[in-house]
Amino acid sequence: MNDEINIILGGPQGGGIDTSMSVIVRGLGRSGYGVIAEREYFSNIAGRHSYAHIRIKSSEIPLSIRYPVQLLASLDAETIFVHYKDVEEGGILIYNKSDEEKKLSEIVSLEESIREKISKELEEKGISDKVSSLLSFLENERKIKLVSFNYNEILRRIAEMHKLPLSYMSRYLSSILVGAVWSVLELNLDDLMYSYSIQFKGRSDRVQHNIELVKEVGKIVKTNNAHIKLEPGKLKGSKRLIVSGNDIVAIGKIVGGERFESYYPITPAVDECLLLERLAYSKFQDNNLGNLLVLQTEDEIAAATSAIGAALAGVRSSTSTSGPGFDLMAESISFAGMNEVPLVITFYQRAGPSTGMATRGGQGDLFTAIFSGHGEFARVVLSSGDHTEAFYDAIEAFNIAEKYQLPVIHLLDKFLANTLSVIPIPELEKVSIERGIIVNDTKNYKRFDLSSLISPRAFIGSNSVMWYTGDEHDEIGHISEDPENRKKMYEKRIKKLELVSKETPEDKKLSIYGSENFDFLLLGWGSVKGASVEAIKELKSEGMNGAYINVKMLWPFPSEEVKKYLKISEDIIAIDYTYDSLISKLVKMSSGINIEKSIVKYNGRPITIDEVKKSIKLILEKREKRVVLEHGA
Amino acid sequence: MEHNPGKYRTDLWIDWCPGCGNFGILASEIKALEELNLEPSKIAIVSGIGCSAKIIHYINANGVHSLHGRAIPFAIGIKLVRPDLTVIVNGGDGDLLGIGAGHFVALGRRNLQMTIILHDNRVYGLTKGQAAPTLPLGVKTKALAIPNIYTDINPIALAISSGYTFVARAYAFDSEHLKEIIKKAIMHRGVSLVDVLQPCVTFNDIHTADYFKKKIYKLEDEGWDPVVRDPKDIEEKALNAIRKSFEEEKIPVGIFYENSLLPTYEERLKNVIKSYPSISPGTTKIEVNGKSIFDRKLFESVFSDFIIDTE
Ligand SMILES: Cc1ncc(C[n+]2csc(CCOP(=O)(O)OP(=O)(O)O)c2C)c(N)n1
Ligand code: SF4
Repeated sequence: MNDEINIILGGPQGGGIDTSMSVIVRGLGRSGYGVIAEREYFSNIAGRHSYAHIRIKSSEIPLSIRYPVQLLASLDAETIFVHYKDVEEGGILIYNKSDEEKKLSEIVSLEESIREKISKELEEKGISDKVSSLLSFLENERKIKLVSFNYNEILRRIAEMHKLPLSYMSRYLSSILVGAVWSVLELNLDDLMYSYSIQFKGRSDRVQHNIELVKEVGKIVKTNNAHIKLEPGKLKGSKRLIVSGNDIVAIGKIVGGERFESYYPITPAVDECLLLERLAYSKFQDNNLGNLLVLQTEDEIAAATSAIGAALAGVRSSTSTSGPGFDLMAESISFAGMNEVPLVITFYQRAGPSTGMATRGGQGDLFTAIFSGHGEFARVVLSSGDHTEAFYDAIEAFNIAEKYQLPVIHLLDKFLANTLSVIPIPELEKVSIERGIIVNDTKNYKRFDLSSLISPRAFIGSNSVMWYTGDEHDEIGHISEDPENRKKMYEKRIKKLELVSKETPEDKKLSIYGSENFDFLLLGWGSVKGASVEAIKELKSEGMNGAYINVKMLWPFPSEEVKKYLKISEDIIAIDYTYDSLISKLVKMSSGINIEKSIVKYNGRPITIDEVKKSIKLILEKREKRVVLEHGA
Repeated sequence: MEHNPGKYRTDLWIDWCPGCGNFGILASEIKALEELNLEPSKIAIVSGIGCSAKIIHYINANGVHSLHGRAIPFAIGIKLVRPDLTVIVNGGDGDLLGIGAGHFVALGRRNLQMTIILHDNRVYGLTKGQAAPTLPLGVKTKALAIPNIYTDINPIALAISSGYTFVARAYAFDSEHLKEIIKKAIMHRGVSLVDVLQPCVTFNDIHTADYFKKKIYKLEDEGWDPVVRDPKDIEEKALNAIRKSFEEEKIPVGIFYENSLLPTYEERLKNVIKSYPSISPGTTKIEVNGKSIFDRKLFESVFSDFIIDTE
């Protein structure tokens, strides 16, 4: 019996991978499993290869994905060529019988360089470029169980059964993958029914058709005796959330009291805003919570500046973007710094520079987040390691922004944004809303009162009158070039950083996982966390004693706290999604400590548990200094 | 009606060049606010960058001297969360029609209730007289090395075609007329533009006070009727106004176009968010004693689509 299963579902973009992934994850969650599902896709709407990598655990919530997988379910021949190596010896491959005759050279959506690479591999193994040849290799040499059937025929059967037009059936195709997973793992159909009924709310006919399709697939899987024994899900007994990183940030923002969100569409930030929009238009008004406004602007400059306007008028406002959009917001960040405006920018990094690889991941924007905008001023940069952290951080971003009156950048990345996870419902009693010092009615109000580091804030529209200017200003907010005033205002703005450092508890700056008496230490940030924490845990059972430091507050950098841990260990390894190990540079710059060993990945694909384990061993046992990770399709 | 004449003017020294048209705009704007008897704390004036942009510091009302070209989106953020406030944007021609042209156009589509006062001096004042987008082709003002090689944007035509529902032109030194137009613009239900012809005594030696004095005439003296009274007349009224705005020999000032038939952005929002704007984002509570207003029950109801019940 397995406690864990890894699966890849692959097919053309637009073929329904997304839907099958959410149906499966929700159904598994309902059955009491812990699940995480990472999504990879091209910057294209329909046709290119896309896949979902799902990891299931019966006794806990997994934090990351791993290779190899035990099941590969494919909608097309391309998936077989691209992922055949990912399947474990003795694993299962489910494919469409009509793909058997397809040739590598005929797959038009495949990039030429990838085709050449695969072609070479096949040649070396003595496989012809036909799917059937590859399949017999997999069956004979790698003992992979092949399950095939004619997908169209099954769809036709369902169509006939329900008198549906055949052209309509393509939208059911993705359920073949759902059926494959459900029957291979011999899961409970009721839970799947539950999942479908949420997915297709109010469309009971669609739920019914899909379930029948799943049953049809199940019969075939059964006659092939293709099963993987998975322990029953043990996480029963309470409600849980199934969310992507985008979803949970949106949810956090609403719980945290956001009242204005502006955005200009960009991957992978836009799903957050679309969800906020949907909730604003539907749920919010019925609950009488006050209005949340979501504004789609003409560009990112308008997104950031309108969010500043809303913040000046006293609401928690934020904008979400990715690298190209963030660059356009630099001048606004500088204005927010100068005017002590609580602006929150949610920054989902993707693989740059420029448009880079719009739908792939990376962490190359670390310094952009910390240093963009001109002039010296205080800002805070937070990063989240997983979905649960992202929820609390989305709220914390507002708290810090308002308490200290400065811009806060909440830095996430594509891997977190597009990964679906089952997580516990947040502990709402732990959520605090700290708005800082607010005054409503003062005569002779001075917005930038120098008598304290944090001046009491009044909102535009309250009973006080106030002025803001991007120019250097006096306590009232009027332009001033007086050198003495300049010095005081400069200091006021920048000294807040020390206050943030002093007042933020250590657990909000970093978190540490693994042994307290570690022999080696891995240090990283953002979504590197999942694979790192799990790798450390698994290495422990192999007798290697490590810990992982997840840096949560990137700016002001928690030098003192980090130093404390780094001193203990001789073997420190930095890990992130950059070429230059940017996190090491930040540590060096902030605390003087030179981390000499690093694990980096910059091909746009996610770091997996197996990769982290392997590279830690290379570093500790083979004394390698820098390991570059390369896995990924 | 009782009001204090000093109520709307701060005591700051004004650092515009003596004789600048901005003085006329400031005086008329203050007078308009005064006559409308608006409470200073319920007014937000937003400017960009440039000579014109400093105006907010001279008016006793909430002022945001924002970023070059960005006054409009700053103002939108304020207005949307506090729809009860009077929001006015003051900007130069470089500011609103050069670097900020995208926002200028986008605002027309929204028809949000706010007023744009364009300080149209046809040059970039604060950066020493470069050609602004309203400077005509072939004109050589003082600071230019060669006659202007760009054609000009017509702010009236641009505003009307972008969807502005109140579009007027006025002259900075005809204080009474400008004030009346600003008042009407502020009272207009929807987005309004007042294009103010503003002499820049330092850098624009062509479009001087003398130049304008000779050319200007008032639309109302001609019996011009800007008002759209029937939706079927929108196109004709708009086209006539645009045609009129291209007159050059004699320069018409006054209200070119006025259409109150189009729903405002606030009204459009109300169609999808029923309680807006009566419940405004800026005036609702988001916490109770430092805690979120979301308890477990509310959380489960608002986010029900994301919850799996494992019972
Ligand atoms: C992003 C940016 N670019 C350039 C400038 C420099 N700048 C300051 S004032 C100004 C010109 C303003 O001209 P206009 O809007 O016509 O106003 P005027 O000074 O004529 O009133 C420019 C370009 C700036 N402040 N910000
Ligand atoms: S430069 Fe021109 S616009 Fe600026 S203050 Fe002087 S006269 Fe006025």
